[in-house]
Amino acid sequence: MRPLRRARGAAVVDVADDEVSLVLRVGRGDEQAFSQLYDLLASMVHGVVLRVIRDPEQAAEVTQEVFVEIWRIAPRYDQHRGSPRAWVATIAHRRAVDRVRSEEASRTRESADARIAVIDVRDTAEEVTDRLDVARVGHALRALSEKQREAVELAYYGGRTHREVATLLEIPEGTAKTRIRDGLIRLRDLLGVDDEL
Amino acid sequence: MSSDLHHLGAAYALNALEPHERRSYEGHYPTCDICAAEVSAFRETAAELAAAVAAEPPTDLKAAVMAEIGSTRQMSPSTSPRDELAARRRMGRALPAVAALIALVVGLAAGLLLQRDSGSGVDSVLAADDAVLVDLAGEAGTVLLAWSADRGEVAVVATGLPELASGLGYQLWLIDDDGVVPSRVLEVSSGAVSAAFGAPEGVPLAWGITVEPLAGSNEPTTPVLYVGEV
Repeated sequence: MRPLRRARGAAVVDVADDEVSLVLRVGRGDEQAFSQLYDLLASMVHGVVLRVIRDPEQAAEVTQEVFVEIWRIAPRYDQHRGSPRAWVATIAHRRAVDRVRSEEASRTRESADARIAVIDVRDTAEEVTDRLDVARVGHALRALSEKQREAVELAYYGGRTHREVATLLEIPEGTAKTRIRDGLIRLRDLLGVDDEL
Repeated sequence: MSSDLHHLGAAYALNALEPHERRSYEGHYPTCDICAAEVSAFRETAAELAAAVAAEPPTDLKAAVMAEIGSTRQMSPSTSPRDELAARRRMGRALPAVAALIALVVGLAAGLLLQRDSGSGVDSVLAADDAVLVDLAGEAGTVLLAWSADRGEVAVVATGLPELASGLGYQLWLIDDDGVVPSRVLEVSSGAVSAAFGAPEGVPLAWGITVEPLAGSNEPTTPVLYVGEV
């Protein structure tokens, strides 16, 4: 059962096909196609980068890096391994997380700092939920148990490792892993993400 | 394969693994149909989470991006090891503590020196001023490589390599911008390697190891088991 699958199923498939052909053209050095791809995906990329990094200037830098990287590696895009959207979101999120972690690695984190971070990040998680403008995803997130939602949001929007999630939520690592996994499985099922991949 | 590894797909797709887990999982999932499918599906889900917080970038960003791609060369289309490498490159660099790495290389080399005369070659590559050290990540054991462009030599020191069926060996590959250049099949003794030899032609972006027939292959015929970026 896929109660939350996009209503405009056929239209969505067309869009996805369109994105595939755009990325394939980008992979052949087509700057016009790249420009169109940018228009389609820039707000998704910048949104997730900004969410993780939070500093608008740094986020803009990373968004630029992400698109240049997409241009550079587009010849390697394999449509059998995922949609262009998922491919691009993976690159964007990873870049954002890498930026945040390399900065954090250069600081020593005292437990007091971690304590502040807990409050900070928990606020973010709620703010994100409030701000979700895609009702379908918001609905799916609300269908998770609160504990699952918190763990998934800390990991993805907070850019935290599952170990950090465990520390922040004061739960054992195994529990954090399980919550992230169960939460994402439930989201996947609710959102009806392509199972033909 | 530990059953635990099979359960890391969600955290991996959310970039929530610790660096060592990420490396182990990347060695695993491309070779496991179930995990590979799971990662694909979870990534689609993660993209939905990304789209849910969409935000317009600054308006002048597009012009900057278009200008930059105008002077950015695209990669060549993939071969499978390169594909893996591209995936790893996007993960950002796993930066091992260089001092610890050197200590490990020297320690391993010194230990092996006692048993193997090929160690002196290893030593001189390691001592070269321009030596580039690379930690090749894989599931089991430790593989460290030193490459000296000046000397045109490469040294490989490894321990804990799983035993292979007879007739098979671990072949080293140089991965550069144009593809994959074969190097030699490593001589393994009790799971350990300590060898120095002429480097294959090319400027490596990375080094990789696959299992090949002892005579060596011209291109990889099996998935990459160990890979490390320069």
